[in-house]
Amino acid sequence: MKKRVLSMLMALMMVVALLGGCSSGSKDSDTATTAAGETTAGNTEDPGLQAIKDAGKLKVGVKVDVPSFGLQNTATGEYEGLEVDIAYAVAAEIFGVTPEEAKEQGLVEFQGVTAKTRGPLLDNGELNLVAATFTITEERKLSWNFSTPYYEDALGLMCLESSGYETMADLDGAIIGVAQGATTKDAIAAYIAEQGLDIEVEFQEFDGYPALSAALSSGNIDVFSVDRAILAGYNDDTTKILPERFGTQEYGVATALYAKELTEVVEKVVTDLLSSGEMDKMISGWGIE
Amino acid sequence: MVKGLFNISRWEEAFANMDTFGEGMLMTIKVAILGLLVSLLLGIIFGVISTTKVKILQIISRIYVEFFQNTPLVVQVFFYYNGLPQILQGILGTSRPVRLSKLLLGVIGVGFYHGAYIAEVIRTGIEAVPKGQTEAAYSQGFTKIQTMRYIILPQTLKLILPPLANQALNLVKNTSVLALVAGGDLMYHSDNIVSNSGFLQGYIISCVLYFIICYPLAALVRRLEIRSKKTPTPKKMKPMEVA
Repeated sequence: MKKRVLSMLMALMMVVALLGGCSSGSKDSDTATTAAGETTAGNTEDPGLQAIKDAGKLKVGVKVDVPSFGLQNTATGEYEGLEVDIAYAVAAEIFGVTPEEAKEQGLVEFQGVTAKTRGPLLDNGELNLVAATFTITEERKLSWNFSTPYYEDALGLMCLESSGYETMADLDGAIIGVAQGATTKDAIAAYIAEQGLDIEVEFQEFDGYPALSAALSSGNIDVFSVDRAILAGYNDDTTKILPERFGTQEYGVATALYAKELTEVVEKVVTDLLSSGEMDKMISGWGIE
Repeated sequence: MVKGLFNISRWEEAFANMDTFGEGMLMTIKVAILGLLVSLLLGIIFGVISTTKVKILQIISRIYVEFFQNTPLVVQVFFYYNGLPQILQGILGTSRPVRLSKLLLGVIGVGFYHGAYIAEVIRTGIEAVPKGQTEAAYSQGFTKIQTMRYIILPQTLKLILPPLANQALNLVKNTSVLALVAGGDLMYHSDNIVSNSGFLQGYIISCVLYFIICYPLAALVRRLEIRSKKTPTPKKMKPMEVA
């Protein structure tokens, strides 16, 4: 009996220590807090471009499940898409070669990221930059550096062809699937309020786009909502995208706050691509609307 | 990363979601209780029929146990989630896939999975009682049913209670598989909170909440283990009336 009471007490103490310790220790935390992640590495030295040159590789986070933007080809294991090309262009600038050479010589080391993982991976230095349909927001600018936007997109709603939905007003009682850590949920709620639509919808959050797509085709959710560029890659003859465009957002290439030299190079590459019209060619080359 | 754990404003923000955590915890408890009932029912049925002499029943029980023990719970739940609605649509001939509620999905998931383990616990429990006990009972004039009821099952029960409670404990933790199919359980809500906020406080809170559910069960397992090791002492019996 005594032993049992003791063990209960120990367990309780552990819990209290965990919670108490965490809050009382807050005074020695001098890092600025931001809404979007385990930041801010402001006290970290800028390793500069030399570190990347020494490593011989630029480490880039891209999406692996967004056709035309960042997709890992399941047959070859190669990464392909607009954002992959942008990464090669940045590598080309750093190493002083052409983008084609950068690709041939394997100067970019890609890693798949999700909305949930891309911020922390930038912060801990695992990645040099992220080009992964990363929407620029004021909040996120506090945590990371963003380049000039290279693509502007809106949110879209995709449903099954057989569902009979025509516009957003038909969605009363529907279950809308969104990606975890994305801004979609708030944007939809804001749009419904703004349009004064008299509908009630339920949200369910999933870990990735393939999971969302599977949930839609198996009938577990009524609507799959995410950026239109991403939706386009999942749209086939059983599905359709509703006409509403809302929640316009801009994608930028993100770098860690401390990586000042790299940020400048990225900015230069992106603005050059935009001003030379090369970006438009790349976008249409990937079949993006 | 670690520094963020000592940041008081992040804790405040995480605790502001306590309603959501509560909602998730309620779902987890509901799934666990109903799942446990289903798994006990299946476990008893399949456990008992595997000890009968009827070959076909033994085979059925074997197939059930081996299938569910040797495939991952995650795969099973993904199958129920993505496959069952369409299979039901085919069977029932409805115009749309038959959507299963998340509660039902969880109960089926953990219920069938742990039912297989419980069936094994019960089978080994029955087989662990020495054969001599049955023979002795027959020699004293007990019928087959009476032997089961008064001699075998009481001894089995004492043996299997600790592993049964252990299964219940694992069942509670395994309900977290629902998080992968947007199941609205505790893990689902904590994972959403963590990915929306970008810091890990949500996971710690959910650990504490799971701990609160599981610790009493773990304590029960330990108590039952101690009890099952004791030698049985005869109960005080009323003197039998002589007819």
